[in-house]
Amino acid sequence: MSVGTLTKKILQAALFYEIWDAMKVTFKHMFHKPITFQYPREQRTIPDTHRGALGLLRYDDDRERCVGCDLCEAACPSRCIKVISSEDAERPLQRYASEFYIDITKCVFCGYCVEACPVNALAMTKMYEFSTHDKRTLLFDKKRLYDIGERHLDDAKKYLYAHNQEKNVEESREYRYYFPQSVLKPTQSTPKHLS
Amino acid sequence: MGLKPATNPEVEAATIELTIDGKTVTAKDGVSLYDVISSTGKIIPAMCYHYTFDPFGSCGMCLVMQEGKKAPVRSCTAKATAGMIIRTEGDDLFQARKKAVEKHLSVHPLDCPVCDADGHCELQDMAFQHGVTNLANAKQKFIPEDTRSPVLDFNMNRCIACAECINVCKDVLMIDALQFMKKGGFNQVVAKGDLPLACEFCGDCLAVCPVGAITNKFSKYLYKPWQMKKTTSTCNYCGDGCQMYVETKDSEVIRVTSPLSWKNKWGDRAETSKGHGGLCVKGRFGFEYIDAPTRLKQPLLRKGNQLTEAPWLETMHAVVDRFADIRKKHGPDAIAGLITARCTNEELYLFQKLMRAGFRTNNLDSSARYGHMNFVHASKLALGIGRSPNDWEDLTKAKAVLVIGSNVTETNPLTAVRIKEAIRVFKAQVMVFDSAVTNIGKLASHPFLIKPGTEGLVIDGLVKAALELDLVDEENVNKHPQAFAALKAAAAHLSLEQIASKTGLTVDSFKETAAIFAEAPRSVILCAEGIVRQPGGYQNVLKLIDLAWITGKLGKPGCGVNTVTEEPNEQGAVDMGVAPEFLPGLAPFTDQAARDKVAKAWDVTLPAVGSGANLMEILKRCRSGQIRALYVVGENPLATLPASMDIRAALDRLELLVVQDPFLTDTGRMAHVVLPACTYAEKDGTFTNLEGRVLRVRQAMEAIGESVPDWHIMTALANGLGCQWEYESANDIQTEIMKLLPGYYNLGQPRKLVPTADAYLSNGYAAAVAGRYKTAAPDSQRPFTLLMGPVLYHSGKLSTAAPGLIKVAPNTGRLRMNPSDMERLGLQDGSSVKLTSDRGALQMGVQQDQSVAPQTCFFPEHFNEPPVKDLMTVDVDGTTGVPSFKRTGVTIEKA
Repeated sequence: MSVGTLTKKILQAALFYEIWDAMKVTFKHMFHKPITFQYPREQRTIPDTHRGALGLLRYDDDRERCVGCDLCEAACPSRCIKVISSEDAERPLQRYASEFYIDITKCVFCGYCVEACPVNALAMTKMYEFSTHDKRTLLFDKKRLYDIGERHLDDAKKYLYAHNQEKNVEESREYRYYFPQSVLKPTQSTPKHLS
Repeated sequence: MGLKPATNPEVEAATIELTIDGKTVTAKDGVSLYDVISSTGKIIPAMCYHYTFDPFGSCGMCLVMQEGKKAPVRSCTAKATAGMIIRTEGDDLFQARKKAVEKHLSVHPLDCPVCDADGHCELQDMAFQHGVTNLANAKQKFIPEDTRSPVLDFNMNRCIACAECINVCKDVLMIDALQFMKKGGFNQVVAKGDLPLACEFCGDCLAVCPVGAITNKFSKYLYKPWQMKKTTSTCNYCGDGCQMYVETKDSEVIRVTSPLSWKNKWGDRAETSKGHGGLCVKGRFGFEYIDAPTRLKQPLLRKGNQLTEAPWLETMHAVVDRFADIRKKHGPDAIAGLITARCTNEELYLFQKLMRAGFRTNNLDSSARYGHMNFVHASKLALGIGRSPNDWEDLTKAKAVLVIGSNVTETNPLTAVRIKEAIRVFKAQVMVFDSAVTNIGKLASHPFLIKPGTEGLVIDGLVKAALELDLVDEENVNKHPQAFAALKAAAAHLSLEQIASKTGLTVDSFKETAAIFAEAPRSVILCAEGIVRQPGGYQNVLKLIDLAWITGKLGKPGCGVNTVTEEPNEQGAVDMGVAPEFLPGLAPFTDQAARDKVAKAWDVTLPAVGSGANLMEILKRCRSGQIRALYVVGENPLATLPASMDIRAALDRLELLVVQDPFLTDTGRMAHVVLPACTYAEKDGTFTNLEGRVLRVRQAMEAIGESVPDWHIMTALANGLGCQWEYESANDIQTEIMKLLPGYYNLGQPRKLVPTADAYLSNGYAAAVAGRYKTAAPDSQRPFTLLMGPVLYHSGKLSTAAPGLIKVAPNTGRLRMNPSDMERLGLQDGSSVKLTSDRGALQMGVQQDQSVAPQTCFFPEHFNEPPVKDLMTVDVDGTTGVPSFKRTGVTIEKA
């Protein structure tokens, strides 16, 4: 071992060189912008096309959009949707989903159901936090789905716009179906474009 | 196949040749061009076509180009002629068909998402196939929906006026309940006269509707076709054994659909002689009992005075212990068993094996004893076959059908459709003798209204007329001259005039009927409840066989004496040996060879020859205390037999009454143990229908609650009693039956049995026939005859558990009377009368019924409220032990 090397070693030992060397990264990061995202306290901005929790939507006049046509159930590749429909007692000849279940534990978030929906009653939201103590609560029923839809109405609409499902509320009326009238209660006036 | 099928099946139509798409095709003359094209395997779209009826030509889809014509022609209404050159494909045809779809679609609401037919809609398929994307001049009809019918909703906005519903109703079923009516500028299908639909509610119009214009009220809005699981099964309401699709979702039956549908519209018209694939009201709308809330879900055990729910294990232990105890103390003959013929063949087989090999007793019987046994015994004795010799095809192609004592349109609607086809297509002459104005009588060429209870006399008259007019078949009769002489001697004292006056007919009508029957090349006799459920039923069936014999109709193809059964598997019950006198395969219980075979197969000693009791005897022995334990599977003697039989007292004396049923029946309420059984939709098995076809019953859904298939319970019971049965499924039992009765299943085809009367005619016929033609007219001092029988909308007591059928035909609790009688007695609909018979009196309301003959009154046998059945006297047949209790004399007074 030469004198130079020895001197260098002694000097490094005296000045705690290794420690300073190791701490270099730490000190460097003191002046960096932090990368860690403080998840529960901070929320990420999510793109409009994001496929999150499914929600059911209502029209502006608070009527349920869903007509219980079961096409979402047919489209679902993981078979997590179950729809039971019946006739709306107050508006004869109007079909609606009396029960609607989505087993979100089975859902693969493919968005096919939203695409299949002829009345744009289903939409995906930016909600993705499903953690729970009880797995059974992950079987979303109709009430829960409408709650999600209501709470995340803006996101749901943005999703539909982003996926070219719906332009805006006015134009989306074109998608709605006109139902045959009932003997019991003529509730609907003849649609504008038909009269 | 064709515009009109050849009316006479013996005459072959001439053959013609034509060119279709460059290929030469041979076809029969006079058939529709569409049929010729479809027989080559090419499918041209058509929405108003169905092979079961004549082409109507309203949809304009089946266009083809015929050389020499400028515009496309409709192939369904065009007749195929020799030398035609036809093109079925091409862009011009595609565009023409697309125009036709657009025309239909432009007045069709696009409410597919809310329509029940979505995904099962021909218009939808056509629009998709032809790429119809935009519609100019679309308009809406805004017709209110007709929801007045109890089972069907008519949404005429969706109607495409194809008239399939009207055609099937008028042409195939001959009910003619629908019509077109122009209302609000549109042609609409309405019930006749635009009244609420009141028909047989068979729902075949619903089945053939290619769009969602006619919808099923039971499944409306609930599910889409693709959501349901479809299981092919056999209907368990009557002996017709119709095939049907049970559509289920999870553990719920949503609807029942039929093989008849717009989906299979291509077929050979001649094929319909084996059945057109439709269903009746019971099959299509009577499914709701399967998942009814009244179903038993847990075994019930009597504790003190009450039936309380108990676990299976505890219940089975109790049952086995008590049966074993009774057998030890009182011997095996203190145990008896009854089973319903609504069980599958496998279960019936297992039941008799359980009784004979498990309990070692021969006290067993099935509900075939309530009537069918009369026919079986007569047929077995005389012809050696023990079932109806003819199938539906024979019935359809018959030239003469003698329907006697059978309201076949009500009891077996699909067998009736066969007779209707015989009338319509094959121009058969149908002679109907009945004591009510029946629907088949209205369609028949020779309807006769007879006095109630004189069916036997009518047969006497027909035999006498055949002898008098010398309509005998020499060849047949000369083989057994002694027998014929004996028959002649036995019938010598008969006088047609006397019989005519007693039955309310004319001498000529007997002569005419006998002549038509004897001279037709294929004559079929159909006798049912009016014969086999009435006193003297056994002798009357033998007399009908005599009639068929002397006119040469025995053993001739397409001829024979037939019956229809009320329950789906009465024939199976008899074939499986669920009767003290029969072993499986209809072998007599006394037949040593058969006994050895069965004993060897089961590895047991069978109960001694001469032991055993049938239904009536079992009930008698229950009353006397000889029988101490009764095992009842699906039967309900308490609600079936009149009070005079004192069934309640008989059952009260029992030490152990085990009832196994899907529902808590009247008998079940008296039981010590009630075991919940599955219905046919929850188990596998087979039914044997009235033609002798063995039809599959398939499990459509999981068992309701803790109910278990009958065979499973019986296997558990047998193993508890020390047998070593290893049946894991109904299939295992089937394998055993196949070994014991080779050829029984016969791949679901009716086994052709050739009836031979030679042995019967040469041995002791003379002695037997001597007393046969001494029928006495029913003599009653009372002016009215009360008849009880089945109605179209119900079957036994089972259908009363189906809310849909109750909605269609509720128990009015009223006696049905002829309007003229009511007028004479000064009665109005709903007024109260006092009904008195030899057995008691009853106060009840009355209602008008045109189908009830004067001097008679009718009450459906399905209802016991008010207890009309208790007015009946029971008459037990000496030979067959069949109880008859469906007719009695009554006095009606205004109350």
